[in-house]
Amino acid sequence: MSASWLLHRCLFVVYTLFLVSVVVFAITQALPADAAVTLLGENATPEALAAVREKLGLGDPMLLQYWHWLSHLLQGDFGTSMRTGQAVGPALFLALSRSLLLAACAILLMLVVAVPLGIIAALRRGGPVDLLAGLVSYLGVSLPEFVTGTLLLVLMADRLQWLPATGYVPLTDNFFDGLRHLVLPALTVSFILVAHVSRMVRSEMIDVMHSDYVRAARLRGLSKGAVLFRHALRNALLPVITIAALDIGYVLGGIIVVEEIFALPGIGRALIVAIEARDLPAIQAGALIMAGTYAVVNFAADITYALIDKRIRYD
Amino acid sequence: MTMITRRSALAAGTAFALMPQIALGQAQPRRGGTLRLSVDQAASVLNPLLTRVNPEYMLSELLYSNLTRLSTTMEVEPDLAESWSANSDLSQWTFALRPDLRFHDGAPCTAKDVVSTFKAILDPNTASPGRTNVGPIAEVTAVDERNVLFKLSAPYADLPTALAYTNARIIPAPIAEGDISKLAKTAIGTGPFKLVSYEPDRLIVVERNATYYNKARPYLDRIEIVVYPDPTAEASALISGDVDLIANTPPTEFPRFAGAAGVTPLRIPSGQFLNVNMGCDQKPFSDVRVRQALALTIDRNAMVDFCAQGYGTPGNDVPMNAAYRYFKQVAEKKPDLAKAKQLLAEAGYPNGVDLKLVASDTPSTRTPMAVAMREMAKPAGFRIEVQTMPHATYLDQVWKKGPFYVGFYNMQATADAIFSLLYTSNAAWNETRWNNADFDKLVMAARLTTDEPKRRELYGEAQQLMYDQMPSVIPVFFDLLAAKRDYLEGYALHPRGSVFRLDHAWLGAGAPKRG
Repeated sequence: MSASWLLHRCLFVVYTLFLVSVVVFAITQALPADAAVTLLGENATPEALAAVREKLGLGDPMLLQYWHWLSHLLQGDFGTSMRTGQAVGPALFLALSRSLLLAACAILLMLVVAVPLGIIAALRRGGPVDLLAGLVSYLGVSLPEFVTGTLLLVLMADRLQWLPATGYVPLTDNFFDGLRHLVLPALTVSFILVAHVSRMVRSEMIDVMHSDYVRAARLRGLSKGAVLFRHALRNALLPVITIAALDIGYVLGGIIVVEEIFALPGIGRALIVAIEARDLPAIQAGALIMAGTYAVVNFAADITYALIDKRIRYD
Repeated sequence: MTMITRRSALAAGTAFALMPQIALGQAQPRRGGTLRLSVDQAASVLNPLLTRVNPEYMLSELLYSNLTRLSTTMEVEPDLAESWSANSDLSQWTFALRPDLRFHDGAPCTAKDVVSTFKAILDPNTASPGRTNVGPIAEVTAVDERNVLFKLSAPYADLPTALAYTNARIIPAPIAEGDISKLAKTAIGTGPFKLVSYEPDRLIVVERNATYYNKARPYLDRIEIVVYPDPTAEASALISGDVDLIANTPPTEFPRFAGAAGVTPLRIPSGQFLNVNMGCDQKPFSDVRVRQALALTIDRNAMVDFCAQGYGTPGNDVPMNAAYRYFKQVAEKKPDLAKAKQLLAEAGYPNGVDLKLVASDTPSTRTPMAVAMREMAKPAGFRIEVQTMPHATYLDQVWKKGPFYVGFYNMQATADAIFSLLYTSNAAWNETRWNNADFDKLVMAARLTTDEPKRRELYGEAQQLMYDQMPSVIPVFFDLLAAKRDYLEGYALHPRGSVFRLDHAWLGAGAPKRG
């Protein structure tokens, strides 16, 4: 891929983020109630509201508010939360790191489970593994995360007491305890990923195994294993990468529910709390972080295609 | 020989004297240990003058103190003030502080700090919810190092109770007069605990304050406050032993605790209620017959089952129940659809009336109340359309303005507090705009005297007025529900819902080592 293509893509990401910030800002302004109302709640007398609005700069015209926020952002300052009075940037990035950790665990689980499951299901069609894979897929696609999560919670933590109920322990505090706390949320998130990806791997493998060039490879005398790993898998993985990249967006969204159930203080929960409180700086930062993550992941997916398949070129 | 005998006799005697103590040893509080408790939303406000929700009240109660506090039976007891007195017409009160009070940073706490704190609370720019809830205070001055004089703008018998309000906690004068926003990140109070770390969305840690004015309390070394937004997960955490105490749990989770090993469910009737407010300054509710008709369609016991899952007591359109001191027992209202129809017709609505009832989404019990009312009132000719909306929108567009909506209120400390908050003509939250001059007179008169029988009589008449004229329909009072592990002692639910008294709690045998 050429340098100019890379540059174009980067600029496109920046442009997307800018658009996201404008749209999110506009929507937040259109919502009824502002941060002053949610801060004061039932104690909102007209004077109190005026005092709080003055302090938070909510009385300024919209464009001015947006400009204030943008100019601070360009200097690396994400602003101060209207809800807690603390800096938005550090808090949200910390929350993001926890969500990314959860996402990474879920994706790891997905790769370790879904890819072999799909391959075996394809190679032994109609067999017990295929049936199991089919069941997992249907369940994964039909059960919402809060059902899966709550069921896992009640089963593993309540009845069997194998794993801790909820909560979050930082890996830096206690590595193994931290991992134990991540198991149930990661399982919940990866359930749907496994469903999608294993299905995709299975159907791609079936297609590829019937293709001409695989038959040619077998006829040339290559062993089954060599055919599988050197030829078939590479081709089957391409659409899988597409699905995985799309699913990242889903993971970021579905993670909100999982974070709520398992009391994980990640970016999803932070964003929900910010929206309920009409905390403008936190909403903007959260939205940008989510959009940015999604854009970066898709970018990475495109580059991975080019690396895997030499036929794909970007100019 | 004789001395040894006497000494051993003395020793034996002392041992015998101590025996009952040792036998009762189980009831003696043990010092030490870490308590982990969970709340359902983050305590995002640390400044005690600005706190709004129960987790925030709990945290500020650990870190700060008021002049007075409420006991578990809603009596007022000394906190920072060891005694108080009033002049003959109850318009001037003097409070005497305990000696040698210290803030967490070592600075002494004196009358000056009390004066500055109240100046900040009463300043509209601070926007403290306490401003309208601490009584009609005109001026606060320091008589000397330890005595504070409150000059009121009108006589007020309940001032000591009012000063126990959740936002009336004492902060240092330099901060109250200077940069009060410092209290958003740090806590410098006189409370039984000091702040160790503050990550509101994840974990808050406090530890014992060695300079607290009561040398015996608090018993606990540390308290960790974690946030579990999902009640099912929170209940699972308690059952599996990850937390020791849940501050509050919904009726849907409560039955899980009954059979769980090592768990004690907690339940207490409280004055918390949902009220359906009717705008009395416009049609159709300006006609008392319409309000009476609506009230006659409601089956109160069914409402308790439907809205509180049975964990509640029926209400009779008066915002007080037996949990309040001056409660007057009234006849239970029974539904009477025929009479309701008749009253509606008399009021000029023989073909019924169309109404829109608004219910916000927090707490989630508002919607069942609205839906139940819709169904109960239908046969009498009330055609009610229920509209739900997010809480922020409700606060912005409907609350105090709308003609017909569901409100939700915690129990207040006194009868005067709940009446003056919602139902007098100059109430801060005059939702119903009932504006009844007789009612105002009764409430005003009850403030002017500390004579118990007289107050009881006046409040009794006020309640009767509300019972007859029902500016709101109040069908249910909710019980407060929570749960704890068996080894936690000294903790009981408080009917007010916003008082926790964790400095009286201690960990008995079987408590795990934490932290």
